[in-house]
Amino acid sequence: MEEAAKTLKEYQEHIDEALNDKFLRKTLDKFAVEYRVSRDNVFKEVPGADCVQKIADTKDWCSKHLEELYEQFKTEAEKRGVIVHRAKTAKEANEIVVKIANENAVKSVVKAKSMTAEETMLNVKLIQEKFEVVETDLGEWIIQLRDEGPSHMVMPAIHLSRYQVADDFTKVTGDAYNPEDIPQLVKVARVQLRKKFNHADLGISGANFCIAENGTFGIATNEGNGRMVTTIPKTHIAIAGLDKLVPKLEDALNVLTVLPRNATGQRLTANVTWINGAGECEIGKDGKKNLHIIFLDNGRTEIAKDPLFSQIFRCVRCGACANVCPVYRMVGGHKMGHIYIGAIGLILTYFFHGRDKAAILSQNCIGCEACKDICSGGIDLPELIREVRTRCHDEFGTPVKEVLAGKILKDRKRFHTFLKFVRFSQKPMADNEGFIRHLPDILFSRHKFKSLPALAPKAFREMWTDLKYTLESPTMRVALFSGCVQDFVYPEQLEAFIKVMKHHNVQVDFPEEQNCCGLPMFMMNQNDVAKEIAEDNLKAMSAANYDAIITLCASCASHLKHGYHTILGDAANAFIEKTTDFSSFMVDKLGVTSELLNKSGEKVTFHSPCHQCRGLGVVEQPHALIDMAAEYVPCAEEQVCCGFGGSYSSKFPEISSQILANKVRNIKETGASRLVTDCPGCIIQIRGGVHKAGLNVKVSHIAELLAENLKP
Amino acid sequence: MTDSEIVELYKNKAEAVACKIVEYKTIEEAIPYIIKVVEEKAPCELLDDEDVEKGPLSPNGVPTRIQPVLAAPHCDEAFYKKFSEACEAKGYKCISKGLRNYLAGIDVGIASAVLGIAETGSCMVDTSKEDIRLSTMICEVSILVLKKSTIKPTLISVAEDLRSHIGASSASYTTFISGPSRTADIERVGAIGVHGSLEMHIILLEG
Repeated sequence: MEEAAKTLKEYQEHIDEALNDKFLRKTLDKFAVEYRVSRDNVFKEVPGADCVQKIADTKDWCSKHLEELYEQFKTEAEKRGVIVHRAKTAKEANEIVVKIANENAVKSVVKAKSMTAEETMLNVKLIQEKFEVVETDLGEWIIQLRDEGPSHMVMPAIHLSRYQVADDFTKVTGDAYNPEDIPQLVKVARVQLRKKFNHADLGISGANFCIAENGTFGIATNEGNGRMVTTIPKTHIAIAGLDKLVPKLEDALNVLTVLPRNATGQRLTANVTWINGAGECEIGKDGKKNLHIIFLDNGRTEIAKDPLFSQIFRCVRCGACANVCPVYRMVGGHKMGHIYIGAIGLILTYFFHGRDKAAILSQNCIGCEACKDICSGGIDLPELIREVRTRCHDEFGTPVKEVLAGKILKDRKRFHTFLKFVRFSQKPMADNEGFIRHLPDILFSRHKFKSLPALAPKAFREMWTDLKYTLESPTMRVALFSGCVQDFVYPEQLEAFIKVMKHHNVQVDFPEEQNCCGLPMFMMNQNDVAKEIAEDNLKAMSAANYDAIITLCASCASHLKHGYHTILGDAANAFIEKTTDFSSFMVDKLGVTSELLNKSGEKVTFHSPCHQCRGLGVVEQPHALIDMAAEYVPCAEEQVCCGFGGSYSSKFPEISSQILANKVRNIKETGASRLVTDCPGCIIQIRGGVHKAGLNVKVSHIAELLAENLKP
Repeated sequence: MTDSEIVELYKNKAEAVACKIVEYKTIEEAIPYIIKVVEEKAPCELLDDEDVEKGPLSPNGVPTRIQPVLAAPHCDEAFYKKFSEACEAKGYKCISKGLRNYLAGIDVGIASAVLGIAETGSCMVDTSKEDIRLSTMICEVSILVLKKSTIKPTLISVAEDLRSHIGASSASYTTFISGPSRTADIERVGAIGVHGSLEMHIILLEG
């Protein structure tokens, strides 16, 4: 198994390797698109949101009643002849397995897939102790033959091609296989492993649910190996994390309604096995199975007590957070978790495998919230990853560059003076299209995949005195929260906004004491600075004076609405209530119609910013607006991140550039001559990508499209 | 949903997971169908050593059975009598116990479902008896017998049945079966027939 990267540079090298793996890239790309379709098809047949909420509620309750559940399960299972063990650590769990194996004169072991056994690295221990161990899940068997770890929680060998698999099989059997015939390759496992099942002394499985009310445990599998492993050998050990305990059968059935649908787009796995008590086993002592279950703690009881992280108990190991992650799609599972993969993997690595393994990994989240949106348990994964970073920072210290940034941003005047200095010093490098011509290699050697914008000659706040206006009897009074990017890089987007507002008889005010929204500092885990900034902005924006506070930056909007609540609690409610993104303000609050707009013949497509579609739940409003001013052309994967992610794109430029390349390809395929979006961060990224790709597509803010098509 | 809508939904979802569905009034009437399944299938692969007369190698390079083996453990006596006679007439071996002697593989396993689940196209089978469990696992063709009236609409709606079923004995092993064994572990290409059954037929009975 690959060693965890100790420095960011080392990690970037690992990532480069994955990015250059053409097979991996193609497979994961295809998977990302197909998964969405099959998952959505089966998900809409059930009350998905209700089921997810129920999983969240049940598991939250479980994390508070862990000991009771465990005691109840133990009592009920023991009544039925099951031997229940509890292991404090991974090492202890492995030792219990070895002890049971030795007591029963075990020589050979067959295993069904268990992430918990992966977590304890049980195979390593069993092999050390000279047992013959065979993984029987096809994917697990393949990676066992290669001595690798899983690269996905549900599809452990997704990183391997049919050619690699055929070669590995040839090494085992000595026969040649046609790699194009995948069904035939699958049969190799059937042929090779049946004898292993039949002659094994011990079967080891995981458990998807452990039901306290009657001491039953349930296993969901597809290949039939789960039932072989739990039936044929006379001894069976199930290994489960304490987080798998639920009170009732209904809770398990509810999880089952979501789990296979979210994992692989299946309605149900081919088998679900409910094992209750030590049942019939012809070759067992007294005709009964020798049945053990080991509950693994490995930090879980501590996690259960943590007010924030107890949420991770909601994880049902469906792997969907990896399936939709734009970063996973680029680099695969081996670069996105130590053993557990994807968004949840970044978090679990910290808890189960140590902070030294998680410190660097946890930085590789672009914050697009796709994982949070799809999670079977509604876990706020991006926030938990951010918090893991905070904890790593607390332990390892914050990077100097980030401390400096915090110092500058905290003080609005100092920050704005700094920006003006940058604007002055970039002059020799800016071209007349608003891009920086030559990026200084020393700072940006890894960052040449897109054209970077220059700061505007005049910031919006410097233009404001000339733009100010007073309406006689406005329909509404609103305050503009400009955000730094539009204020200093793209003031023309705000000019367009002013034009649209004036045209619709809306009075705009620009409170000049406003600062950066604080999101960058929040993401860099400088929580004190983020709090100071939030408090300053609350004061500066004086929400009570306005009908709405509008921002044309989706990232600012999402941070002002959700981030501020996390930071300031209910004190921010009045402000949050008033804050809105541009598109929802236009459609929902102002109720704009095509009355004041010209519908042009221009073909315009849309990129849905992460912080708008998922952060704010705003999806249809921008489509409606485009449709009033132009011909709207939908874009494939509209809601997939553009790869910007704020500081992410400078930390992981290679990944960012590949995500952007997909976006640009999708835009190209629409045939549109223009793309609009509702976030200046996405505009930096997409405009830069389109420019570098030499694509003749105009990229602008949706407000600019409207401003150009106002009826006189 | 009306009862007939539930049955239709069940059929639809079970077919979506590669089940073949046939309808009969009684299980006895289905015996010729079962015999036909055996006639049409390829010889059973012997995946482990067994002291039995062997036929030519299968496409996967393993020896095959010459005499087909069908298992129908713990089923209705009247049915078993007729069924074993039909097998005998064809020269097939029909067994009702001792399946551990056939772990190399059997041709067909027949089992009754306790209930069906329409939403997922599944059968709930009481596999507490080891022979029933094995017959649904090591068979190449799994035939499940399901009464229409026992089909429930959703997964969550079977909770009470599952509970009383589990509670009925001191130890139990219950299985939800949804189609033949499957995998997508190589390049996410769906393939049917891994360690468990290669084919699944559902005999839907009236009543």
